[in-house]
Amino acid sequence: MTSPAQADTEDVIAPRPQPRRGVSLRDAGPPIALVVIIGIFAVLSSDFRTVGNVQNIMDAAAVLAVATCGISFVLMMGSIDLSVPGVMGASAIAVALLVANNRNGNDLGLLGVLVAILLGAALGCLSGVALVGLKVPSFMTTLGVSAVGLGVATLMFAGVQPNISDEMLRGWAVNRFLGLAYLTWIAMACVLVGWLVQRYSRLGRYAYAIGGAEEVLALSGVKVAPYKVAVFTLAGSFYALAGVMVTSQLSAGLVQAGAGYDFRAITAAVVGGTLLTGGRGGVLHSAVGVLLVTVLINGLVQVGVSPYWQGGVQGLIVVAAVSAAVIPQRRRNQVTK
Amino acid sequence: MSTPVIAEPASNPAAEPAIVKGGPTAAQRVTSFMPVIALVTLLAALTIADPDFLSQRSLTAAVRTSAPLVVLAAGATLVVLCGGIDLSIAALCSLSTVFFAMWLPDVGGLTILAVVAAAGAIGAVQGIAHVLLRIPSFVVTLGGMSIFSAIALVISDAGPIRVVDRDATSWLNLYVAGYVPMSFFVAFLVVAVISLVIKLTPLESFVRATGYSESAARLAGTPVDLVKVAAFTVSGACAGLAAVMLASRNFSGSPTMADNLLLPAVAAIVVGGTAITGGHGSLWRSLAGALVVTLLRVGLPIVGVPSAWEQILYGAIIVAAVALTLDRSKVAIIK
Repeated sequence: MTSPAQADTEDVIAPRPQPRRGVSLRDAGPPIALVVIIGIFAVLSSDFRTVGNVQNIMDAAAVLAVATCGISFVLMMGSIDLSVPGVMGASAIAVALLVANNRNGNDLGLLGVLVAILLGAALGCLSGVALVGLKVPSFMTTLGVSAVGLGVATLMFAGVQPNISDEMLRGWAVNRFLGLAYLTWIAMACVLVGWLVQRYSRLGRYAYAIGGAEEVLALSGVKVAPYKVAVFTLAGSFYALAGVMVTSQLSAGLVQAGAGYDFRAITAAVVGGTLLTGGRGGVLHSAVGVLLVTVLINGLVQVGVSPYWQGGVQGLIVVAAVSAAVIPQRRRNQVTK
Repeated sequence: MSTPVIAEPASNPAAEPAIVKGGPTAAQRVTSFMPVIALVTLLAALTIADPDFLSQRSLTAAVRTSAPLVVLAAGATLVVLCGGIDLSIAALCSLSTVFFAMWLPDVGGLTILAVVAAAGAIGAVQGIAHVLLRIPSFVVTLGGMSIFSAIALVISDAGPIRVVDRDATSWLNLYVAGYVPMSFFVAFLVVAVISLVIKLTPLESFVRATGYSESAARLAGTPVDLVKVAAFTVSGACAGLAAVMLASRNFSGSPTMADNLLLPAVAAIVVGGTAITGGHGSLWRSLAGALVVTLLRVGLPIVGVPSAWEQILYGAIIVAAVALTLDRSKVAIIK
């Protein structure tokens, strides 16, 4: 096409390859499923198709949306994060002890929230450092960090439940703006921030690239390790915010604040189209996944299924979604650990 | 289009020298004795902290507490040896305690067998899902974990179920030779039998080959899929047996009874020195690891450490032990 001399100069300003326009089935699937499920439940249950229930669903999705935002980055890299319960528990107790509460004289307000988020970021950073420093697989490091977080939370809990009296934090869950709780708006802001980071920052782009082909990225001169630590740190701060939101909802700090959120967040991300092998999906995919999971749980309860089945339904969904995602990649001598 | 670029760096000379060396290095020798060293150190430390600890009574009690953990860890070790991980053992164990308490009035003395068989079948289903659907084992078992918890909650109505017939498991509370608790003896027996069966049959090479290099094992004709399903089955059956032990000790079954045993079980496996990457390790190591973990749990209050530190310690131990035992020549990229 071009002469070698021209190619040399042209390589420097090589045009960015245009991403494929048009929506593939993989990307369109989850939103279609969401619409279908909403349609089915709306037909089945008259309680489901009310404005109040839509508000309920949005409010119920808030905490999960923030946690899933964080885990999406980790999954994009092809890693996994099981530290959500630990980080959420630690930050939930931390924030309850830092704002006005019944245990001590602290009244830091927003600063307390910030400190709690920093604690979560530190725990996330710990996962990342153990991953790149000790070369321990992420599901092990994060399992360990989850235990550490729960331990820290239990230490701070010290047998007496901290009830918060801080008006601002309590107001987040109660006060409404345009029909939705403040927490829901915070969650939307998080999704927006997460999307901007994913789309426009180097961190987000590299997280994609690490998931897609880490060797290639490393061979092209990128120091991968700091970005991995940074992704886990970012994820940790998202979980911590989710923990703060739970404290706001309960008006009390609980060690168990994040129980089950690890699995729920992974389910939501996977259902939204983020592959566990990395390199695909993203924050917006996950947001759709969060709505899918929340609508499903809400709808099943409205239809009269025992709430105890929630976890089971999520388990089935995640196994089904992951196996559907790997069908195109099946090979005879493929190794799955 | 991008193939030529990737094809070039296929061989990585930096990784070669580590494999060429014959014989274990000093560090490898130390890590291979790690569980025993840890066990002896812990015992010594606890004895110094409280001289009464080395009495027959407290040791018997400690060993008795460890029995369910030993069985759980032993089963899951097989899965780890094959290169996978089973995160569902604790939830399956909880579900099995519910099964046990519910079935006991109808099935009577055969309940133990029934529960072990049911748990083994559930484990097999997970293994088949892992092998047929080609999903990573931790996803299958993570999914299994929440499914089993849900089933346990639903069938038990989220509450404990009393074990009505205590005679069915009273033999587990006996003592062998006057000192060794029966439950620990059974746990020991389970480890011994599984180890022997593996040792005396081609299974040992099958399991190791699968763990060390699955694709090579497959090309060499090892029934990799069958081995994996079998490992998950044994893991499930062990969870069932551990459930019987727990239920016999607590005289009830409950949907969350064993949930806090997941972390200790994983810790027991990795502290024992079984590599999480598969291939290297044994059930005996997990037995030692389980004893270490139990001593830690029992010993922390003796030394005067609040029990909240237990969790932090588990976390640190897991990460540290995995870092020590990981087979780095195998995983170029750590996800």
